[in-house]
Amino acid sequence: MVAMAKKISKTVLSRTDHLLEVRDFVSEAARQFGFSEEDVANIVLAVDEACTNIIKHAYQYAPDKEINIAIVRNNGTFEVKIKDNGKNFNPDALKRPDLQRNLTHHRRGGLGVYLMRKLMDKVEYNFEAGHSNEVSLVKYLSKKQSLIKK
Amino acid sequence: MSISEKMIGTVAVLTIKGNLTGEPDTGKLRDRIYSLLEEGFNKIVLDLKGMRYVSSTGLGTFIAALTSVRNKGGDLRLANVTEKVESLFVITQLVKVFKTYDTLERAVASYKL
Repeated sequence: MVAMAKKISKTVLSRTDHLLEVRDFVSEAARQFGFSEEDVANIVLAVDEACTNIIKHAYQYAPDKEINIAIVRNNGTFEVKIKDNGKNFNPDALKRPDLQRNLTHHRRGGLGVYLMRKLMDKVEYNFEAGHSNEVSLVKYLSKKQSLIKK
Repeated sequence: MSISEKMIGTVAVLTIKGNLTGEPDTGKLRDRIYSLLEEGFNKIVLDLKGMRYVSSTGLGTFIAALTSVRNKGGDLRLANVTEKVESLFVITQLVKVFKTYDTLERAVASYKL
Protein backbone atom coordinates (compact mmCIF):
# COMPACT_ATOMS: atom_id res chain seq x y z
CA MET A 1 0.00 0.00 0.00
CA VAL A 2 1.31 3.45 -0.95
CA ALA A 3 1.57 5.81 2.04
CA MET A 4 -0.55 8.95 1.80
CA ALA A 5 1.38 12.23 2.08
CA LYS A 6 0.09 14.22 5.06
CA LYS A 7 0.32 17.50 3.26
CA ILE A 8 -0.10 18.24 -0.41
CA SER A 9 -0.56 21.60 -2.05
CA LYS A 10 -1.34 23.30 -5.32
CA THR A 11 -1.21 26.88 -6.55
CA VAL A 12 -3.49 28.18 -9.28
CA LEU A 13 -4.12 31.55 -10.89
CA SER A 14 -7.17 33.54 -9.79
CA ARG A 15 -9.41 32.62 -12.70
CA THR A 16 -12.64 30.63 -12.59
CA ASP A 17 -11.43 28.41 -15.45
CA HIS A 18 -8.84 27.00 -13.01
CA LEU A 19 -11.52 25.84 -10.58
CA LEU A 20 -12.00 22.54 -12.39
CA GLU A 21 -8.34 21.74 -11.68
CA VAL A 22 -8.90 22.60 -7.99
CA ARG A 23 -12.02 20.41 -7.84
CA ASP A 24 -10.12 17.43 -9.26
CA PHE A 25 -7.21 17.97 -6.84
CA VAL A 26 -9.50 18.15 -3.79
CA SER A 27 -11.88 15.36 -4.79
CA GLU A 28 -9.05 12.91 -5.43
CA ALA A 29 -7.48 13.65 -2.02
CA ALA A 30 -10.82 13.44 -0.19
CA ARG A 31 -11.77 10.17 -1.89
CA GLN A 32 -8.37 8.70 -1.11
CA PHE A 33 -8.85 9.72 2.53
CA GLY A 34 -11.99 7.57 2.73
CA PHE A 35 -14.88 10.02 2.49
CA SER A 36 -18.21 8.96 0.98
CA GLU A 37 -19.10 10.37 -2.43
CA GLU A 38 -21.59 12.73 -0.74
CA ASP A 39 -18.91 14.10 1.58
CA VAL A 40 -16.45 14.40 -1.31
CA ALA A 41 -19.03 16.47 -3.24
CA ASN A 42 -19.67 18.68 -0.18
CA ILE A 43 -15.96 19.31 0.45
CA VAL A 44 -15.36 20.12 -3.22
CA LEU A 45 -18.29 22.55 -3.26
CA ALA A 46 -17.06 24.30 -0.08
CA VAL A 47 -13.56 24.71 -1.59
CA ASP A 48 -15.10 25.94 -4.84
CA GLU A 49 -17.12 28.55 -2.91
CA ALA A 50 -14.02 29.70 -0.99
CA CYS A 51 -11.97 30.08 -4.21
CA THR A 52 -14.84 31.90 -5.95
CA ASN A 53 -15.02 34.35 -3.02
CA ILE A 54 -11.27 34.98 -3.32
CA ILE A 55 -11.54 35.62 -7.07
CA LYS A 56 -14.55 37.93 -6.64
CA HIS A 57 -13.83 39.74 -3.37
CA ALA A 58 -10.14 39.45 -2.46
CA TYR A 59 -8.73 39.81 -5.99
CA GLN A 60 -11.77 41.53 -7.55
CA TYR A 61 -11.43 39.46 -10.72
CA ALA A 62 -7.72 40.25 -11.32
CA PRO A 63 -6.73 37.14 -13.33
CA ASP A 64 -3.00 36.99 -12.55
CA LYS A 65 -2.98 36.52 -8.77
CA GLU A 66 -2.25 33.31 -6.90
CA ILE A 67 -4.46 31.05 -4.80
CA ASN A 68 -2.70 28.36 -2.79
CA ILE A 69 -4.64 25.28 -1.73
CA ALA A 70 -2.99 23.03 0.87
CA ILE A 71 -4.55 19.80 2.11
CA VAL A 72 -3.47 18.45 5.49
CA ARG A 73 -4.58 14.92 6.40
CA ASN A 74 -4.13 13.86 9.98
CA ASN A 75 -5.83 10.87 11.64
CA GLY A 76 -9.51 11.51 10.99
CA THR A 77 -9.15 15.19 10.12
CA PHE A 78 -9.13 16.53 6.58
CA GLU A 79 -8.21 20.20 6.41
CA VAL A 80 -8.09 22.40 3.33
CA LYS A 81 -6.21 25.69 3.80
CA ILE A 82 -6.78 28.23 1.07
CA LYS A 83 -4.52 31.24 0.99
CA ASP A 84 -4.54 34.47 -1.03
CA ASN A 85 -2.78 37.82 -0.94
CA GLY A 86 -5.77 39.96 -1.84
CA LYS A 87 -8.01 42.38 -0.05
CA ASN A 88 -9.06 41.36 3.47
CA PHE A 89 -12.54 39.92 3.65
CA ASN A 90 -14.50 39.63 6.87
CA PRO A 91 -17.06 36.85 6.55
CA ASP A 92 -18.36 37.49 10.07
CA ALA A 93 -19.72 40.78 8.81
CA LEU A 94 -22.01 38.78 6.56
CA LYS A 95 -25.40 38.06 7.99
CA ARG A 96 -27.14 34.77 7.34
CA PRO A 97 -28.81 35.22 3.94
CA ASP A 98 -32.44 36.23 4.19
CA LEU A 99 -34.08 34.29 1.39
CA GLN A 100 -37.36 36.17 1.54
CA ARG A 101 -35.47 39.47 1.25
CA ASN A 102 -33.32 38.04 -1.55
CA LEU A 103 -36.48 37.17 -3.41
CA THR A 104 -38.09 40.59 -3.13
CA HIS A 105 -34.92 42.64 -3.62
CA HIS A 106 -33.16 40.63 -6.37
CA ARG A 107 -30.25 40.06 -3.94
CA ARG A 108 -28.09 36.98 -4.31
CA GLY A 109 -25.25 37.48 -1.86
CA GLY A 110 -24.19 35.60 1.24
CA LEU A 111 -25.07 32.12 0.07
CA GLY A 112 -21.47 30.99 -0.51
CA VAL A 113 -20.18 31.54 3.05
CA TYR A 114 -23.43 30.13 4.45
CA LEU A 115 -23.02 26.99 2.32
CA MET A 116 -19.37 26.55 3.37
CA ARG A 117 -20.35 26.65 7.02
CA LYS A 118 -23.14 24.16 6.49
CA LEU A 119 -21.14 21.73 4.37
CA MET A 120 -17.99 21.58 6.55
CA ASP A 121 -17.48 20.73 10.24
CA LYS A 122 -15.32 23.80 10.92
CA VAL A 123 -14.59 26.98 8.98
CA GLU A 124 -12.00 29.48 10.22
CA TYR A 125 -10.54 32.65 8.78
CA ASN A 126 -7.10 34.06 9.55
CA PHE A 127 -5.93 37.42 8.33
CA GLU A 128 -2.59 39.13 8.30
CA ALA A 129 -3.48 42.76 7.76
CA GLY A 130 -2.13 43.93 4.42
CA HIS A 131 -0.50 40.56 3.69
CA SER A 132 -2.62 37.50 3.30
CA ASN A 133 -5.92 35.79 4.05
CA GLU A 134 -6.32 32.15 4.88
CA VAL A 135 -9.50 30.17 5.19
CA SER A 136 -9.35 26.76 6.81
CA LEU A 137 -12.07 24.23 5.94
CA VAL A 138 -12.18 21.12 8.12
CA LYS A 139 -14.13 17.91 7.70
CA TYR A 140 -13.87 14.96 10.06
CA LEU A 141 -14.01 11.40 8.82
CA SER A 142 -16.86 9.61 10.61
CA LYS A 143 -16.01 6.52 12.69
CA LYS A 144 -17.93 4.36 10.21
CA GLN A 145 -15.89 5.70 7.29
CA SER A 146 -12.65 5.23 9.30
CA LEU A 147 -13.50 1.55 9.82
CA ILE A 148 -14.19 1.04 6.12
CA LYS A 149 -10.88 2.74 5.38
CA LYS A 150 -9.00 0.30 7.64
CA MET B 1 -23.51 23.42 -19.42
CA SER B 2 -26.19 23.14 -22.10
CA ILE B 3 -29.75 24.41 -22.15
CA SER B 4 -32.43 23.06 -24.45
CA GLU B 5 -35.91 24.48 -24.72
CA LYS B 6 -39.32 23.07 -25.60
CA MET B 7 -42.92 24.19 -25.24
CA ILE B 8 -45.57 21.90 -23.77
CA GLY B 9 -48.81 23.81 -24.29
CA THR B 10 -48.17 27.22 -22.74
CA VAL B 11 -45.44 25.93 -20.42
CA ALA B 12 -41.81 26.55 -21.38
CA VAL B 13 -39.44 23.76 -20.35
CA LEU B 14 -35.73 24.46 -20.08
CA THR B 15 -33.60 21.33 -19.73
CA ILE B 16 -30.25 22.01 -18.10
CA LYS B 17 -27.36 19.59 -18.47
CA GLY B 18 -23.96 19.79 -16.80
CA ASN B 19 -22.70 22.21 -14.16
CA LEU B 20 -24.04 25.61 -13.16
CA THR B 21 -21.25 27.34 -11.29
CA GLY B 22 -20.89 30.86 -12.68
CA GLU B 23 -20.42 32.93 -15.81
CA PRO B 24 -20.91 32.45 -18.70
CA ASP B 25 -23.41 29.69 -17.88
CA THR B 26 -25.42 31.65 -15.30
CA GLY B 27 -25.74 34.54 -17.80
CA LYS B 28 -26.90 32.11 -20.49
CA LEU B 29 -29.68 30.78 -18.22
CA ARG B 30 -30.69 34.30 -17.11
CA ASP B 31 -30.86 35.54 -20.72
CA ARG B 32 -32.95 32.53 -21.77
CA ILE B 33 -35.47 33.18 -18.99
CA TYR B 34 -35.64 36.92 -19.68
CA SER B 35 -36.26 36.19 -23.39
CA LEU B 36 -39.14 33.87 -22.47
CA LEU B 37 -40.64 36.60 -20.26
CA GLU B 38 -40.30 39.16 -23.05
CA GLU B 39 -42.08 36.76 -25.39
CA GLY B 40 -44.92 36.52 -22.87
CA PHE B 41 -44.20 33.07 -21.44
CA ASN B 42 -44.29 33.16 -17.65
CA LYS B 43 -44.98 29.50 -16.84
CA ILE B 44 -41.55 27.94 -16.78
CA VAL B 45 -40.20 24.55 -15.69
CA LEU B 46 -36.52 23.85 -15.23
CA ASP B 47 -35.77 20.17 -15.81
CA LEU B 48 -32.67 19.48 -13.71
CA LYS B 49 -32.30 15.75 -14.39
CA GLY B 50 -28.94 16.27 -16.07
CA MET B 51 -27.62 18.88 -13.64
CA ARG B 52 -24.53 17.54 -11.94
CA TYR B 53 -23.18 20.44 -9.94
CA VAL B 54 -24.49 23.81 -8.79
CA SER B 55 -22.68 26.45 -6.74
CA SER B 56 -24.05 29.33 -4.67
CA THR B 57 -23.73 31.51 -7.78
CA GLY B 58 -25.96 29.04 -9.64
CA LEU B 59 -28.45 28.96 -6.76
CA GLY B 60 -28.42 32.77 -6.73
CA THR B 61 -29.31 32.77 -10.43
CA PHE B 62 -32.30 30.52 -9.68
CA ILE B 63 -33.45 32.96 -6.98
CA ALA B 64 -33.08 36.00 -9.27
CA ALA B 65 -34.90 34.19 -12.09
CA LEU B 66 -37.73 33.15 -9.77
CA THR B 67 -38.16 36.76 -8.61
CA SER B 68 -38.33 38.03 -12.20
CA VAL B 69 -40.83 35.37 -13.27
CA ARG B 70 -43.07 35.92 -10.23
CA ASN B 71 -42.95 39.68 -10.78
CA LYS B 72 -44.45 38.99 -14.21
CA GLY B 73 -47.26 37.00 -12.60
CA GLY B 74 -45.85 33.58 -13.43
CA ASP B 75 -43.80 30.90 -11.73
CA LEU B 76 -40.58 28.93 -12.14
CA ARG B 77 -40.94 25.31 -11.06
CA LEU B 78 -38.35 22.57 -10.85
CA ALA B 79 -38.52 18.98 -12.05
CA ASN B 80 -36.23 15.97 -11.60
CA VAL B 81 -33.97 17.58 -9.01
CA THR B 82 -31.11 15.14 -8.35
CA GLU B 83 -30.35 14.03 -4.80
CA LYS B 84 -27.11 16.02 -4.71
CA VAL B 85 -28.71 19.24 -5.90
CA GLU B 86 -31.76 18.67 -3.68
CA SER B 87 -29.55 18.48 -0.58
CA LEU B 88 -28.26 21.99 -1.41
CA PHE B 89 -31.83 23.25 -1.75
CA VAL B 90 -32.54 21.80 1.70
CA ILE B 91 -29.40 23.32 3.30
CA THR B 92 -30.13 26.76 1.86
CA GLN B 93 -33.87 26.43 2.59
CA LEU B 94 -34.67 27.04 -1.05
CA VAL B 95 -37.04 24.06 -0.84
CA LYS B 96 -39.42 26.44 0.92
CA VAL B 97 -39.28 28.89 -1.95
CA PHE B 98 -39.40 26.69 -5.08
CA LYS B 99 -42.11 24.23 -6.05
CA THR B 100 -40.39 20.99 -7.02
CA TYR B 101 -41.78 17.88 -8.71
CA ASP B 102 -40.51 14.33 -9.15
CA THR B 103 -41.17 14.27 -12.88
CA LEU B 104 -41.36 16.73 -15.75
CA GLU B 105 -44.95 15.64 -16.48
CA ARG B 106 -46.04 16.50 -12.92
CA ALA B 107 -44.30 19.87 -13.03
CA VAL B 108 -46.00 20.78 -16.32
CA ALA B 109 -49.37 19.47 -15.12
CA SER B 110 -49.11 21.55 -11.92
CA TYR B 111 -49.80 24.70 -13.98
CA LYS B 112 -53.20 23.33 -14.96
CA LEU B 113 -54.35 22.94 -11.35
